[in-house]
Amino acid sequence: MAGGMDLGTEVKGKKKALDATINLVPFIDLMAVTISFLIMTAVWTQIGRLQVSSAGGDSDPNQEKDDKLPQITLLLAQKEIKISVGSAQLGDAITNVRDDKGQLDLSKVQELLKKIREQIPDQTAITVQTEDDVRYEDLVRVIDEAIGDGLPAVSVSPVAT
Amino acid sequence: MAIQVPGKRYGERLAKSHFFSGHHSSARKSTNADLLITPLVDMFVIIVLFLIANFSATGEILNMTKDVQLPSASHVKELELAPVVMISSSDVIMNGVAVARVSDLSREDYLSIPALEERLREEKKQTEELHIAAADGQAFTGDVNIQGHKEIPFKVLKRVMFSCQNAGYSNINFAVLDSGNKPEGTKTAER
Repeated sequence: MAGGMDLGTEVKGKKKALDATINLVPFIDLMAVTISFLIMTAVWTQIGRLQVSSAGGDSDPNQEKDDKLPQITLLLAQKEIKISVGSAQLGDAITNVRDDKGQLDLSKVQELLKKIREQIPDQTAITVQTEDDVRYEDLVRVIDEAIGDGLPAVSVSPVAT
Repeated sequence: MAIQVPGKRYGERLAKSHFFSGHHSSARKSTNADLLITPLVDMFVIIVLFLIANFSATGEILNMTKDVQLPSASHVKELELAPVVMISSSDVIMNGVAVARVSDLSREDYLSIPALEERLREEKKQTEELHIAAADGQAFTGDVNIQGHKEIPFKVLKRVMFSCQNAGYSNINFAVLDSGNKPEGTKTAER
């Protein structure tokens, strides 16, 4: 009777066991099938997207353009990065420093962009002017940094010659 | 001679032996062992929960190849179903067909890639016709995914972007690996 509930079906002189054994075999079968299905359909690489627009083209329709705000421009060259607000360049050119993996160190860019965001909090757009020989990976790093610093409307354009 | 129970009988020399005389066999445990399946069921439940948590309903939008190593980024949005232009280290590929060679694109100074534009226009036309036939009221969004190798120069990328824009695909998305390590203090905008 251990663990079982007395249902009052006691037969005279002989007690019927009330503990029922659950048959786990169908449950294990179901689990095995579910695991197989999930493993087969699993996507192991986590891929995302960075939305950009070409300068001069249509930008994000949700983003309202405000022409009164000064335009933030980041010039990305193979050896240096320049940031300007309106027509004035902000600080000196930042020389590109790479880590052991060859990735750009963007800590100075982050500082400058944060400073700009404090001065113009309503501006959410930035134009990344890129030179022809810049690697795609560096461009993605800069766009990622800009989005992370609160400038989600990123336009990419080649350097005007 | 007395009738004995069939089975192994050892010689007289071993009759007094504790092990061979049969005394030991009477204390032998049953050979039927019950398998404890509780840990097995526990493990199955944990695996199922882990796999369901990682389940992606959108499936694989991009066809990953060893020629294309994607750059990584942390402030990303979820990838959506859209035409994919793949830029490997050697070719520009659209729907599995090579439309241009990277070496040629690096050499020329034109911005447009005619073969790519043509394919994108066809794709756009098909999508618009499907929406009209389905009468679902959805407009053409102009989304395109660019799956580029991380080492390609911007000179090639800008030509692909220009061609996409010329063909009507102005919402350009760069496919990247989600590194997920967001630095503290930074907010992902419009995630």
